[in-house]
Amino acid sequence: MNCEIRNEGDAAVVVLSGDVDLESSPQVRAALLECVSARRTVVVDMMAVTYIDSSGVASLVEAFQSARKSSTRFVLARVSGAAMRVLELARLDKVFKIVDEVADGLVHGG
Amino acid sequence: MARSRDAVSRDALAGAPAVGAPVLSDYLELLARLGQDFAASLDVTRTLELALERIAGHLDAEAASLFLLEREDAELVCHACVGPVDIKGLRIAADQGIVGRAVSANASQIVRDVRLDPDFASVVDDDTGFTTRSILCAPMSVKDRRVGAIELVNKRSGDGLFSEEDRHVLQSLASSAALAIINARLTGQLIEQERLRRELELAAEIQRSLLPPRRAADFPVCGVNRPARSVSGDFYDIFPLPDGRICFNVGDVSGKGMNAALLMMKTASLYRCLGKSIDDPGPLLARINEELCETGTRGMFVTLVGGVYDPATDSVRFANAGHEPPLLQHPGGSYTAFPAEAPPLGIALDLVGADGYPVTQCRLDGGCLAVFSDGITEWQREDGAMLGARGLKSMLRELYGLAPVERLAALFARLDPGEAELHDDMTMLLVQRSRARVTGSAAGPDDAGGTDEPVLVVRVPARVGSLRLVRRLVREAARACGCGSECVRDIVLAVDEACQNVVRHAYGEHASGDMLVQMRRDGQRLVIDLVDFAPPVDIARIRPRPLEELRPGGLGTHFMNACMDACEFRTPPPGAGNRLWMVKTIR
Repeated sequence: MNCEIRNEGDAAVVVLSGDVDLESSPQVRAALLECVSARRTVVVDMMAVTYIDSSGVASLVEAFQSARKSSTRFVLARVSGAAMRVLELARLDKVFKIVDEVADGLVHGG
Repeated sequence: MARSRDAVSRDALAGAPAVGAPVLSDYLELLARLGQDFAASLDVTRTLELALERIAGHLDAEAASLFLLEREDAELVCHACVGPVDIKGLRIAADQGIVGRAVSANASQIVRDVRLDPDFASVVDDDTGFTTRSILCAPMSVKDRRVGAIELVNKRSGDGLFSEEDRHVLQSLASSAALAIINARLTGQLIEQERLRRELELAAEIQRSLLPPRRAADFPVCGVNRPARSVSGDFYDIFPLPDGRICFNVGDVSGKGMNAALLMMKTASLYRCLGKSIDDPGPLLARINEELCETGTRGMFVTLVGGVYDPATDSVRFANAGHEPPLLQHPGGSYTAFPAEAPPLGIALDLVGADGYPVTQCRLDGGCLAVFSDGITEWQREDGAMLGARGLKSMLRELYGLAPVERLAALFARLDPGEAELHDDMTMLLVQRSRARVTGSAAGPDDAGGTDEPVLVVRVPARVGSLRLVRRLVREAARACGCGSECVRDIVLAVDEACQNVVRHAYGEHASGDMLVQMRRDGQRLVIDLVDFAPPVDIARIRPRPLEELRPGGLGTHFMNACMDACEFRTPPPGAGNRLWMVKTIR
């Protein structure tokens, strides 16, 4: 699993790739929480996520909750089919803000 | 003349004017004092008395009284008075006298000579020998909220008449007093509300703890109760008998609130207690009815369906006392309803004939019996119409493919009003034999022989690092068996979550061990066994949490149940600790 953070102005784009599972999700969790506390906007690029499990979902949820508390915009972008299926199973597909492109996530009001 | 700032006594006012009367030269200071008094004490009465003393002293009146509106604004009652005559407790009609006029008109009144004023009521003077000469009266009100009035009698100094300045002063003092009274009442109300809320929460907690425990996935009876507010008037219960049959009930109390909840808990306890020795629903309901009628229900009653399921014959015996008709859903899709043939419990002793409550017996034949409260059928759809039996049948038909526990969860998710409040408590119970064949022994039909074809056997250390390897192997194996990509994804997710449970929980912190993943193909089904070698787990403590209670650990179990056709703990092979059995049809 790879987790890269890219700066776009005062926003952060967190690019996840590979399997987000019990082994790698703590790393994802830490990265997301840090970005949420430091930035106004966080976009998670999930195009290259090949697998995500309940611990990965939990990391996303925790970051989402933290973002709400600090009024940070938190968006999931390019959610792969596999990841979407998991979000739907967890009935969180309507909870997260999900966009098709990273750019959509960076624009306010999008 | 210097005056001391002592607390005023009635005698001091009644006697010589100067000595002992308090001086508060600035009426703003008086206001502040009043504000402090009210803030300091919630004893409104005492504070009113104190306030009146200060006001009368400041405006140099011989006597003063404070009236509050009561009996829904029909009466004025004297709550405090100062002066030679004690009229505390005096009640007059709200429009009577000068004080009544002040309140009705919501305007202060100066009466220079009461003999010339037709509204002056001389009743009190006549009784007491006191002579009222002049009156200054100001209503106590805040915007449109009328609280009462303050009346001052007989100005002592000067020409004995109250001036316009006195009127202004009294008006603002009266307004402050009104505000303070309203605040004190509100505070009292808030405290009471908070107390009630806490009691309800406690009651709700007790109720929740009485709900039956979650059982293994193949248990044939399951239920859900969702209260509209903290406490519920609905209930359900499930408990097994020693011979393997299973007792169940769904009940609904007619009232709302605390009383209904208490009756509900009493009925539920009675049922559980008596149900263990009276195993036929007819006599059981009769006995409960006797008890409820004997101890009285204050006009409330309980509708109830109570029954017994026999796993050996896949059949149910039940009785319906005035309750919403249960629905028997046949595998083909049709339904049979069972309307009540007897009245609710708790109304009267002689309403049911000598034979007791009529009992219905029916075979499920693989179908499902749904017992529910009317909160479900009366659930309001977005267009305002009720769900009705028709809507419910349609929903149950749609969700029939899910296992009963999942079906209930899905149904309740659909009936979730979101932010809005529920109108009524909702309870539903399903009786249906598990579709997966249940085996209690290691050598059951699923375990050996037949078309059973082993596909994968892998034993790995139960560590986080092993998960990826297991996922890869399971993915390849499932593909090799002809599973489509969605099917493969589901299987991989379920196995991964199951392995995580082993990794996280099976072995303690300082212990380590292996986990064994086996995949077999049985015709069009893939059967997966996950075995560990840790101490056996208590099934009752592994409950998939309802989705509403989203927490990371619970989500994994939900995924497992949602992705696989069946998923349950089974007897492990000799030497092993726990065995989780999962099956998925190849698609």
